[in-house]
Amino acid sequence: MQENGSLKLFKQGPTLEVRLFALAFLALALLIVDARWSTLEPVRQGVSVLLYPFQRIMLAPRDGVERIKGWIDAANEMRIEKESLQRQRIELAQMATHAAQLAAENEQLRRLLNVPETVTQPSVAVEVLFEPTSAFNHHLVFNKGSASGIRPGMPVIDEGGVVGQIVRVTPFTAEAALITDDKLSIPVQILRNGLRLIAFGGGVDGKMEVRYLTAGADIQPEDELVTSGIGGLFPAGLSVARVDSVHRDSATGFAMAVASPLAHPERHRHFLVLQVDVDVARRHEEAHAGEPGGAN
Amino acid sequence: MARRVRVEVARKGAGLSSLEPIDTTPFRRVASPAFIWLTIVLVWLFSLLPWRVWQPAPDLLLLILAYWCLNEPGRVGMLSAFAFGLLMDVHDGSLLGVHALTYTLAAYGTLALSRRMQRFNSVVQCLHMLPIFVIAKSASRLIEAWLAGEWLGWGWLWSALLMAMLWPLADVLLQMPQRQLEEGDGGSV
Repeated sequence: MQENGSLKLFKQGPTLEVRLFALAFLALALLIVDARWSTLEPVRQGVSVLLYPFQRIMLAPRDGVERIKGWIDAANEMRIEKESLQRQRIELAQMATHAAQLAAENEQLRRLLNVPETVTQPSVAVEVLFEPTSAFNHHLVFNKGSASGIRPGMPVIDEGGVVGQIVRVTPFTAEAALITDDKLSIPVQILRNGLRLIAFGGGVDGKMEVRYLTAGADIQPEDELVTSGIGGLFPAGLSVARVDSVHRDSATGFAMAVASPLAHPERHRHFLVLQVDVDVARRHEEAHAGEPGGAN
Repeated sequence: MARRVRVEVARKGAGLSSLEPIDTTPFRRVASPAFIWLTIVLVWLFSLLPWRVWQPAPDLLLLILAYWCLNEPGRVGMLSAFAFGLLMDVHDGSLLGVHALTYTLAAYGTLALSRRMQRFNSVVQCLHMLPIFVIAKSASRLIEAWLAGEWLGWGWLWSALLMAMLWPLADVLLQMPQRQLEEGDGGSV
């Protein structure tokens, strides 16, 4: 209150209420603009670049502990990994011969049908930096960003299948929405019969929903959903989810299926971001407005 | 700093402070600006860690900002609260302005009630802080729910309650350096 021995008799500057009104108005404006448009992205990116060193410093002890833990039971981990790799190798050897046959056959058929060759997808390996604490969305923040060629819209996968999609990129970090996030939808098809559907995140926690099915749609529990490649963002054939249950509503004539994602973003720290050509996908989407097209 | 404190101690009548019948809280020592900003920045850095994923977790940054708004209104005010709120928004990936609005409202509430609260000890102060935290948090929760079209339940009320309960503890911890100064000076005079 007292500074340099003199009493302040009058308040200096605007009153408390004026400042409150100005700041609250600014906060509200930011909220509404940020919720409706993406004009504030540069501001967010700038602040995020400033934040990045602090985030890394604070997470350094955790990373250090994990590295030490890794060293301590390196031998044990190696043994387990070796065993599982050995098992996988035997399983894969069988599949590889089968796949070689199929590939040859597929190539022949593609030539016959004049279907263009599929290209292999360039990708970036990323590591989870942290999980943002916003209760409204299921997001993960990765340790690489636009400096490594990551762009919004690119799919993120792990060995189980699709994990999510990049929604926001800063020079050094990238934020991905998980497939269980209610703002994400993925064009899928049933592996068993090729039925094309759209899977939505949200609904029950940690699950996906397949909505807008006709009551007679051929979908059963245990059906595997893979990406259909429609929309151009997700390459075709990536595993997405397995159907848990199907609810058929005879009153409305529609059915809905609940599916569990096959990827486990909570168990791993390393993921792969597929560098699909986002612009081509967007043009494709615009050209086919109305067709399902990845995330909104 | 030390000189100023000594002058104030002399003005108050140094050796008699223990005999004063009234609560001595209004005669608090001035905290050094370095200490204020150090505590705020440390708590902010601590808030970057992933422990806040648990919804009822207390928002320690809000607590400490409100605390310094009450005790050092000349140094920490609504603008600092707004700025730190914006930093938390970017870190959390939430809509810009959610934390900024909460922090600004809490800072305003604290500043508006500061004249009254400074007459009480920290336990009574925390009873004043509880509604401030609840109102500040509910405003941004409501707007967030409106913009997202989804209500996320009442877990954040626990957060406000925990923050109010931590207030006396924060008071003890943050007044420690000033008290030590006072005792050291009292002995020497």
